[in-house]
Amino acid sequence: MSILSCGNSGRLFWLGRYTERVFTGIRALPGHSGMWTEAEAEKCFDGSNPESLYCSLMYAYDNAIVLRDEIGSDTFSYIQMAVYEMNSAKKSHAPMLNLQKVSDNIAAFWGMADDAISDENVRGIIKLGKRIERVDLYARGNAGNDEIRREVTRLTYRIEKTGLHYDPENLSALNELAENETIDRPEMIRKVESLVYFP
Amino acid sequence: MKVTEEELCRHSDSVNEQLARYGVKFGIYRNGEFHEQLFPFDVIPRVIGSGEFVYLERGLKQRVAALNAFLRDIYSDRKIIANGVIPEEFVFSGSGYLAQCDGVSPPGGVYSHISGIDLVQGKNGSWYVLEDNLRIPSGASYPMVARELCMRSIPSAFSDNLTEDNRNYPELLRKMMDYVNTGGHSVILTPGRFNAAYFEHSYFAERTGARLVTCEDLTVENDRLYFIDYSGKKEQVGAVYRRISDEYIDPVSFNRESLIGVPHIFDIYRKGNVALINAPGNGAADDKGIYYFVPRMVKYYLGEEAILQNAPTYLPYYEEDMKYVLAKFDSLVIKDVAEAGGYGVVFGSKLSAKEKADFMAMLKAEPRRFIAQEVIDFRDIDIYEGGIRVPRKADLRAFVLTGDEPVVWKSGLTRFSRNPDSFIVNSSQGGGFKDTWVMKD
Amino acid sequence: MSLDFERPAWEHSFKLRCFPSSDGRQKISGEHIKISPVHFSSSERDSFGNMCIYGTAKQVHTHFSVDVGGIAETDIHGVIPAESHKAAIFKYETPLTKAGVNIREFHRSLEPRGWMGEFERAVYVMGMLCDDFSYVSGSTGIATTAEEAFTMRRGVCQDYAQILLALCRLERIPCRYVAGMIPGEGATHAWTEIFDGGTWRGVDPTHNRACDDTYIKISAGRDAGDCAINQGVFYGGGRQTQTVRVVVSEVQPGKNSRP
Repeated sequence: MSILSCGNSGRLFWLGRYTERVFTGIRALPGHSGMWTEAEAEKCFDGSNPESLYCSLMYAYDNAIVLRDEIGSDTFSYIQMAVYEMNSAKKSHAPMLNLQKVSDNIAAFWGMADDAISDENVRGIIKLGKRIERVDLYARGNAGNDEIRREVTRLTYRIEKTGLHYDPENLSALNELAENETIDRPEMIRKVESLVYFP
Repeated sequence: MKVTEEELCRHSDSVNEQLARYGVKFGIYRNGEFHEQLFPFDVIPRVIGSGEFVYLERGLKQRVAALNAFLRDIYSDRKIIANGVIPEEFVFSGSGYLAQCDGVSPPGGVYSHISGIDLVQGKNGSWYVLEDNLRIPSGASYPMVARELCMRSIPSAFSDNLTEDNRNYPELLRKMMDYVNTGGHSVILTPGRFNAAYFEHSYFAERTGARLVTCEDLTVENDRLYFIDYSGKKEQVGAVYRRISDEYIDPVSFNRESLIGVPHIFDIYRKGNVALINAPGNGAADDKGIYYFVPRMVKYYLGEEAILQNAPTYLPYYEEDMKYVLAKFDSLVIKDVAEAGGYGVVFGSKLSAKEKADFMAMLKAEPRRFIAQEVIDFRDIDIYEGGIRVPRKADLRAFVLTGDEPVVWKSGLTRFSRNPDSFIVNSSQGGGFKDTWVMKD
Repeated sequence: MSLDFERPAWEHSFKLRCFPSSDGRQKISGEHIKISPVHFSSSERDSFGNMCIYGTAKQVHTHFSVDVGGIAETDIHGVIPAESHKAAIFKYETPLTKAGVNIREFHRSLEPRGWMGEFERAVYVMGMLCDDFSYVSGSTGIATTAEEAFTMRRGVCQDYAQILLALCRLERIPCRYVAGMIPGEGATHAWTEIFDGGTWRGVDPTHNRACDDTYIKISAGRDAGDCAINQGVFYGGGRQTQTVRVVVSEVQPGKNSRP
């Protein structure tokens, strides 16, 4: 096992979260059903809005670029290509085509990370970030309760495998919330957001 | 070389696409804002024949051995000054001399572990050294990654296996780091992502297996340097390839405003408990004023004639040279010894009468501040631009790694000027780069 | 010496240079040193031969102090030998001792005195400087350069010493800055040493006199920066106030009392 700095463990975690935010964000776009309004474009590409998909991808890139030595140039290259596609999407008349390539690159990034990174912790932290982000996004969006339950299970399985500091009470609370027939979504968001901490 | 330049040019786009894919960039500040941009790559390599390279290799090893001997000497007995070979004021009044390093012997006895020697080839074929870079010479990563991506894009160009593989640079780096390591990990210390050469820092870390760290990851305790991992465990570090300049490396010994340095790293370096690559204080030997004396150093320390020549250089500090410089002002290039990166360079012929008079007055007032050189008529190299081949000025930065002995990397960074009238090839001023192919025979 | 922080400080790395050492003119004995708080500390001699203690106080603190005591026996006839190749570096200006327009002009106005030896010339320059410069407490700071102080024509001992260095270095006379103590109670003092025929000889431009056996040296270097009592960095802390209190009193030979 190689050594991993505290700063990089945080960056890996956020790399996982931001890639997930972009990936799931693209799937949720109305453009999938053929509608693409100016307001949607704004929400997607506005570089001054930290909530936009564009900014989320840039945050992923900001983390990835300082992780080249942890994740490897090949894995990194998919994030770089996703950025190029995002920039093309911004100028394109059919942005969904380029955004699809952004998704493709993110999926390839995950696959490559899983395959090429030999350090179990490095892999695990990216995945944990992704899982946490997914629970968070599903709880905020209109995912069904069963989908949320499945994501909480995957998150619980993953968190044990990283060396990150997490709050076990929050984890049990999260699982209890998921068991309830109606899920208290705002409470679930609070729990999942405060699950992991960096000293 | 079996492949033709035309064939290489046909694949120019695919190589550049690959470079973009892997984020082969450098950073630049414009109007105080940081931008990342691709480092323009030209697919036509500089080709150096094996015989010619043997000559360069001998010359480079000799030069770097002398420069290391000089650094050892001026930070200990200063015999070269006592023997009148170099006037002391060229050593002590330069900003590169660090009095804090006096009496310190670095691990393994090496001062300049990574030396970047800038050369040009004249029209007549002879090579001249233009500059020695012994502090933080950068650039080796670019030809190395370009080679890898060219081999992927144009495999036929390498199928004859006649070109020396330059992808061994990380191995050479690793071997050198291991040689000077005082015990523990080797790391690469970067000032951070907003450094012009950040790509190189991260790429070397990936390829050498040395951790890329910033100051927050390191701490000094009980006279040892440690890396702190994310669970709070401390791992000893024995070699630091630092990409931070001397001034910022340790806020309790140098600039106390530094936010990128590691407190006490210099104190324990003085005690021999960590290797700093390159050694602090090397600026005393790559000063443009000291450059003039390098052939004399070779003679003094090694008892040999210098194999590589300097560009014909004059020191206005010497009266005779001052006379020559004033008389031949229009045909010379004058350099401010304190500047680098292509700044502070003045071509006598390009000044107006008034500028010339002002400059000469400054020269007379501060002769120690300048050197003058004959303008060398470089041999041009073709670049491929806008679908055609055009000649451009280019230099060569050769890399010499010194652990137990100097090793010359069988490649180098060839930088070219994109402006047809310019001699200035620095990337910070818009230049591009080429790979350098050393042929096997 | 103590540091008081406006707000709590932590991860405080320090490098202290306030420990007199024995040399040809002074013998130090019975030293005691107390630094608080401290997590780890170590010591070394810097390239100028000065004793340094460096270390880190990791814990949160608002007060940091170092107490140093001991007995110095001085010998006015003692010599501080030095080799000229080691002294050569002290011929050249540093940013703090760089002569600007005003110091250069003053230097030109001095009478030609080519017949003098280097030490006599330095003493002569010191005399001329004292006629043209006033001691005004608080008029300058630790970062004030020789040229800045000279332009105002006033300053404290640090400025006197650095201006004298700037003037001597215009003549390439090897000379160095000395931080030290003189009898009484108050702050540290500073003076200048001139390299003279293989030895360093102290002169005190603030008092326009040669140093006698009441001068106790702490450290020497190219300028005040090399002799900083403390160079430190820390997290938090806010504004810091440094207080230095020096007490020098005479003890009877043979008595083992602490000053």
